[in-house]
Order: sequence, then structure tokens, then C-alpha cells
Amino acid sequence: MHEEWSHTLLQSDPMRFYRAKRDRLHQAVTSKYTILGFISSGTYGRVYKAQSLEPDGQIHAIKKFKPDKEGDVVTYTGISQSAIREIALNREMSHENVVALKEVILEDKSIYMVFEYAEHDFLQVIHHYSQTLRIQIASQVLKSLIYQLLNGLVYLHSAHILHRDLKPANILITASGVVKIGDLGLARLIYQPLQPLFAGDKVVVTIWYRAPELLLGAKHYNKAVDCWAIGCVFAELASLRPIFKGDEAKLDSKKNVPFQRDQLLKIFEVLGTPTEKDWSGLKDMPEYQNMKRLDTYPNRLAEWCQTRIRSQQGYDLIRQLFAYDPDKRLTAKEALAHKWFQEDLRPTRNVFFPVSAHHLPPQRRITQDEAPSMMGMPAPTQAQTLSQVPLGHGQAQGQHLSQQSQLNLSQQSKPGSTASFGSVSGGAVGSFSGGQGGSARKKPRIG
Amino acid sequence: MATDFWASSHYKRWIVDRGTLKESRSDDLQYVDDPEYLDFFAIFFANVITKLGKKLNFRQRVIATAIVFFRRFYIKNSYCETDPFIVIAACCYVAGKAEESPVHIKNMVAEARLFFSQQPYGVKYFPSDNSKLAEMEFYLVADLECDLTVFHPYRTLLSICKKESSNDLQTEAGEVGVGVDDGPRYWGSGDGQLELPDDAFQLAWSIVNDTYRSDLCLLYPPHLLAITALYLAVVLHGPTRELLQQQSHSVEATPVHSSPRRSSRQSSSTSLGHAKKPSQDFVAFFADLNISMPLVATIAQEIISLYTLWERYLEDSDLVDSARGTFYGHASAQTQSGGSHSGVSTPVESLDDAQKPHGATPTFLLQVLTRMRENKLSDMAHASSGRPVAVNKMLERTQAAG
Ligand SMILES: Nc1ncnc2c1ncn2[C@@H]1O[C@H](COP(=O)(O)OP(=O)(O)OP(=O)(O)O)[C@@H](O)[C@H]1O
Ligand SMILES: [Mg+2]
Repeated sequence: MHEEWSHTLLQSDPMRFYRAKRDRLHQAVTSKYTILGFISSGTYGRVYKAQSLEPDGQIHAIKKFKPDKEGDVVTYTGISQSAIREIALNREMSHENVVALKEVILEDKSIYMVFEYAEHDFLQVIHHYSQTLRIQIASQVLKSLIYQLLNGLVYLHSAHILHRDLKPANILITASGVVKIGDLGLARLIYQPLQPLFAGDKVVVTIWYRAPELLLGAKHYNKAVDCWAIGCVFAELASLRPIFKGDEAKLDSKKNVPFQRDQLLKIFEVLGTPTEKDWSGLKDMPEYQNMKRLDTYPNRLAEWCQTRIRSQQGYDLIRQLFAYDPDKRLTAKEALAHKWFQEDLRPTRNVFFPVSAHHLPPQRRITQDEAPSMMGMPAPTQAQTLSQVPLGHGQAQGQHLSQQSQLNLSQQSKPGSTASFGSVSGGAVGSFSGGQGGSARKKPRIG
Repeated sequence: MATDFWASSHYKRWIVDRGTLKESRSDDLQYVDDPEYLDFFAIFFANVITKLGKKLNFRQRVIATAIVFFRRFYIKNSYCETDPFIVIAACCYVAGKAEESPVHIKNMVAEARLFFSQQPYGVKYFPSDNSKLAEMEFYLVADLECDLTVFHPYRTLLSICKKESSNDLQTEAGEVGVGVDDGPRYWGSGDGQLELPDDAFQLAWSIVNDTYRSDLCLLYPPHLLAITALYLAVVLHGPTRELLQQQSHSVEATPVHSSPRRSSRQSSSTSLGHAKKPSQDFVAFFADLNISMPLVATIAQEIISLYTLWERYLEDSDLVDSARGTFYGHASAQTQSGGSHSGVSTPVESLDDAQKPHGATPTFLLQVLTRMRENKLSDMAHASSGRPVAVNKMLERTQAAG
């Protein structure tokens, strides 16, 4: 007798027991953390501030990934490539200057990455200095910020990881003044590329921080793109505004990558038009012909640095980070060994060490309106299904996780609604939208 | 750090001992008549993954990662409680993403459904609904503890033999070194290079492929598997073995074999049939690696046992990149091994029937699996209804008999 129904069940819901066991053992996010508030909404997810329910009561940042969507329809297509990358790389990493992943919780179709909490980030610091204090960042602080940033990047690069999205918003600082590189959502292991890097993501790096070889359409690129971005971040900390604030040319309807004329011009205005003497591979760049049609400019970097960086060595470092030829650009390791860091005043482990208390950047603002929505509707406990639903027939399929959540997705995902589980439509703007918030800070992504 | 094996999740969390493996099968062992079937499962499911991977145009390393995910999953779960076909699809789906060769979920579902529905699997129930695979992916990634960076022996193989990302060498047999650059070694001391003729190297590569048909990838660090594969290749590869033998009697052997001095160019076309005679001392090479040779010998034994078991596994297979033939084929098959002619089709049937123990076919193994799962299910059902399991089982058997 039993053969028949068990056979039916094995076919209709082959993973029933496994699921029941797993759901029974699962520890819900809310059983481990109290959500204190909502921090920010990015390209791939929303970030919340949370407190561990363990006795230590540690504070964390929990990043909840948005589900992938295709067009306007939310089709549940599994874990995004970006989340897989970020998870895979973060699980392997451990370095003082890279944000630490504490755990990952997979629940109800959502991925929650629990990170150590960082009270500040570079964008916020820039904003604080430019809007509130209205002074420059002291050069020792600047040096410490760049030093620790480079130190984290040396680690990533020695592990053959390209970050590919270094920009002020992705570089965090803890309350005790330690720099933490964050957001490895675009990062990639280049050690054993199975495909040329270009094949995966046609566009990388937020436009203002994008290296010239990428802007000129290079199919092959390397760690040097991160070093360029660090040059941009350095300049932005020094001047409190993006150094190359170009407008991004949008993808056309055929999703061809357009020529980034404006961004290149912004770079040329400061660094001068590149020549083959600077960069022997220049004429082989796919966009070389387009580039030649642009007006030419002289190099004005020294002048630019005079008031902003106020150190010959500092200027020398940035100059070498802005080498047009990726092969001549300083590597992270070389940059870290640069004389500027040996010159007084030296970098400090607490980057805020020389900053007086009333000049410290404020704590990260959090908002409450989005906080309760993080978890969506409580799901029925899956452990029950086994004992409650009589075995046999088709209803075995009826109750479990995916259907339940599907319901949530389709019925309750209006942005801003209390149960915006899976709210994918961008929804709320983060509490902090630094003076330069706009679309250029968003990662353009296709493919 | 993603390239430091000793600091990796692979080394820290996923190299396990035999005891752990045995423990992980304890539930299955209650439902299987012969524990050996579980070893056959290891071969069978690795083959399924390899074939599905080929349908998805996966490279060898992606397939290997999928198999490692599968094995890790079954450290924590039992066959009798799960559906390996859905697990396989999820392993391939995640491996594709983890190795930067993503497949769209729709294609994944379509390919898996089609492939599994064919013989010998005949799985008709594979869900067409994407969300079922996505759901399994979630559970899988959680069971993998989100450790998705896997190390493989291929890199060590390449770095020891200094094969470039060659295009010439491997097109047929898979993947040798596609896009793999040889990085620094994370083990041993020397950085000596082994000069191997291409077909001996290919043999080592195929042996590495074959190790995925067992739990070896859970038991030993990948570089040790690579070195063992090289060691076996040196021993088994005809011409190389001759060299090895020459080296061990080098005093007498050298004058006999070397032809009277001619230009070196000419001699290369005549002697041994293989390139410039590598004058390498293989014994010294392995000694210089500064790794435990007894351990390599143990692993070699285990690889040989795998082939012994595999000999009794009957599946008309189109797997081209196995070294299986070399291990029980005839001398003639040896020199060809690894290439497209490799000896999967080699003579299981030529074995003396009397000494051939019972083997296993995919169809048979699938029946075993179904029986295990049905029995487990019925026990679970009775357990959850509160009745004592054992009694019930007996009752049922009595009823069935009556
Ligand atoms: N560990 C953390 N501690 C505190 N705040 C954090 C932490 N991680 C991220 N944040 C905040 O959340 C923001 C978004 O995080 P993150 O960059 O990881 O997500 P994202 O979706 O990739 O965003 P984007 O596409 O804007 O880069 C950060 O800019 C920062 O303000
Ligand atoms: Mg970000």
C-alpha cells in the first residue's frame, strides 16, 4: 500500500522532508537581531542597522539583497550574480581594512548579509567637511584615510580580487577610525578568469571613478582600474568634490556602450590630453578615433594640487595614480610605499586621531519608516507542515515557502508599504543623500 | 584570502576526515542493502553532473566545482531524504555563478528537465517552475555555509608542469589550462618544474578529473591530489615509465640507449617517439616537493581503489576525459589514454566473468535510491504520526508478504 502514496509524494514534492528539516533548524533573522533602523538603499539592496540579541549586543549592518527582476516583473530568478560574488569573496576574506562579514542568513527568498558596523563612510566625511565644517580635511587625516584604503586594496589585490567599484560611498570608517573597504558586489576574482573580464559585465566602476582605459573601451583591464579610482577618491577628499564630475552617456537602445565623451573631457581638462608618449597602447584603444576628435588640453594637475593637496609628495603620489598608461600607473603596493606616507605627519591607526571632538563626523543617521518592513510578513513555520498536512495526494505542494512568499511578493510589494518585503522599485531614498547624490553615483549595469 | 589555500574556507571548513564522512552516511546506511551502493552513487552522480555540465557548455573547472558542492551537500544530508536530481541542478546553477559562467535559470531548468527525463534517468517530475530551483539554490547555499570559493588540483598541475593556457594541447580532452595562469605555490618548498610529454600530462589531468568520482575532494587538499595524479601518470605512462626505469639504472642504461652522437635534431625524431629526451630525475623531483610521500602513496592507493570499483560500474558512457582505461585496459590502451580515444569503452566485458564481482548500472542504482527514499518516507510518516517506527515497518512487511 505505502509504495503508491510514497511514490506519488516523492514525485510531487521530492524535497519535502529535507525542507521540513531545514526549516525546523532555521534561525530567523529576527530571532537573532533587533532591527534598529534603515540606513540606505543601494543598487543591490537595502542596508539596516541592527543589534545582536546575543549578550554582547553588538551593532551590525545588515544588507538585504533585492530579488532580481527582469523588466518590470519580479520573477524569482535565484540569487543574483552580484550577491554570489559578494558572498563568495567575503567568506574568504579577513583583513583589518576590509569590512568583515559576520554571517549570511538566507530566509524567505531574501539574503541577509550581516557585516560589522561602520559608523561613517568617505562620502559622509566629505559631506560633513564641505557642508557642515566648511574646512578642508587636515592633511594628516587625509593621509591616514588614503593609507588605510591602500592597505586594504593591497590585500584585495594580493588575493587577486579586483574591487571595481571604489568610490567614497563604498569606503567605510568605523567609530574608532579604521577604514574598511566595503561593497564587494562588483568585485571579482581575477586569478583564474574563465572568461575575459569584459564578457561578464560590460560596464564597471561608477563613471566619475572610471579609469581612462575603460572609458576608451578596453576589453582587457586589470588592477590598475582600482588604483585610478583611489586617485579620484584621494582628490575628492582633498577638494571635497569629485575631481572628474562628468555626465554619463547612456546606453542606446541596442545596449551598445556609448563613447563617454564628457567624462573623458573632464579628465583631460585636468590631466591634459594623453599622448602616445604617455601611453603607448593609446592608439589601439577602441575609442581612439572618437577621442582624437576632442579638443586637446594641457596638463594642469600640478596647479590643481597646489591649493588642494599642499604637499609635493602628495602631488607626486596622485600624479602617479593618475598615470594614463595602466602599466605605468602605481600599483597599490607601490603607492603604499610612497614617500608621502613616510613624511611627517605620519598616518595614524585611528584616522580621526588629530580631529577634535566637535569636528568629528556625526553618527550615521537611520530612519524608522523602512525598518519594520525588512522582514515582510511573518511566514508560517515550516516545521508544522509535516505533521499537519496529511501525507499523500497533491496538497503536499501547497503550503511551503516559495508559494507563501510569492503571495507576499505579488500582493504587498508597494514601495514604502509596511510589508515591502521584496520591494524592488527603488523605494525610499537613504537617510543620507550627500550633496552629490545623483544618478552618477549609481552603478550602471547591463548584461 | 581567495588565493591563499591555507586561509581559505576550503581548507578550514571543508577538508574532512573519514570518520566524518562515515557519520554523514549513517542514515543512508540504514536504508541501503549494501554499503558499496553508496560508493557507486558517488560515481553515478558525478557522471550525471559531468554530462549535464557538458550540456550547459561548462568548462571542466565549473563541473568540478558543481561536484564539490554536491559532495559537501551530502556531508550534511542523506540521499534517502533528498532528491539528488534537484540538488544536482542547483549545484550546477550555483557553480555557474560562483565560477563566473552563469546560466540563466530558465535554461538551467530546461536543460536539466530535458536531460533528466531521458534514459537512463527517466525523471519525469523535475519541476518546470523556476522558483523550485531557486528555492533549492537557497537551501543549498545555506548548507554550503556560503563557502563558494573552491580550489581544484588543476592549478597545481599546470603550475608544476608549466603548461601555459595552451590552445594546442587540449581541445579534445577538455580544458587544460583555459585561462588559468600559474600563480605562486601555496604548498611545499621547491618551485621545481616537471617536464612531461603532453600525453603524460594529459593522463594526469584525466586522473584528476576522475578523482571527482569519489570523496577524495573532501578528504585531501587539491595540491596533493594533483601531485598524486602526476605521480601516477609518471608511473603509468609508457614512455615516461621507461625513462623512469632508465633513471633508476642510469649507469648501465645510458650508454645502451643513447645513439652514437649525431646532431641533436635528428635524434629527437628517432628516439622514444617523444620529443627531446627530458633528462629529468623524477624521483628527485617528487622528493624535492617537500610534501609527504607516504600520504601521496595513500592517495594513490585510494585512486586505484576508485578505478577498481569503477570497473564494476557499467554505464555506456561518452566521457572522454577519463583515465579509466589506463588503469585496467591493456597495454595498447595506455599510450592513448586521456585523449579522445580514451578508454572508457575498454574492456569491462573482457574480464573473466568468474572473477567479476557483481556490478552496478545506472538503472539499478536508481532503483536502489528510490527504494531507500520510499522506505525512509514511510518511516518518517509513521514516526510523525506517533507510532513506533520499527513496529510499523515490521507490520508492513508482514502485510506485504501476506
Ligand atoms: N558595514 C556597514 N556599516 C554601516 N553602513 C554600511 C555598511 N555597509 C554599507 N553601509 C551603508 O549602506 C550603503 C550601501 O551599501 P553597499 O554599498 O554595500 O550596497 P549597494 O547596494 O552595493 O550600494 P551601491 O550600489 O549604492 O554601491 C553604503 O554606502 C553605506 O552607507
Ligand atoms: Mg555601494
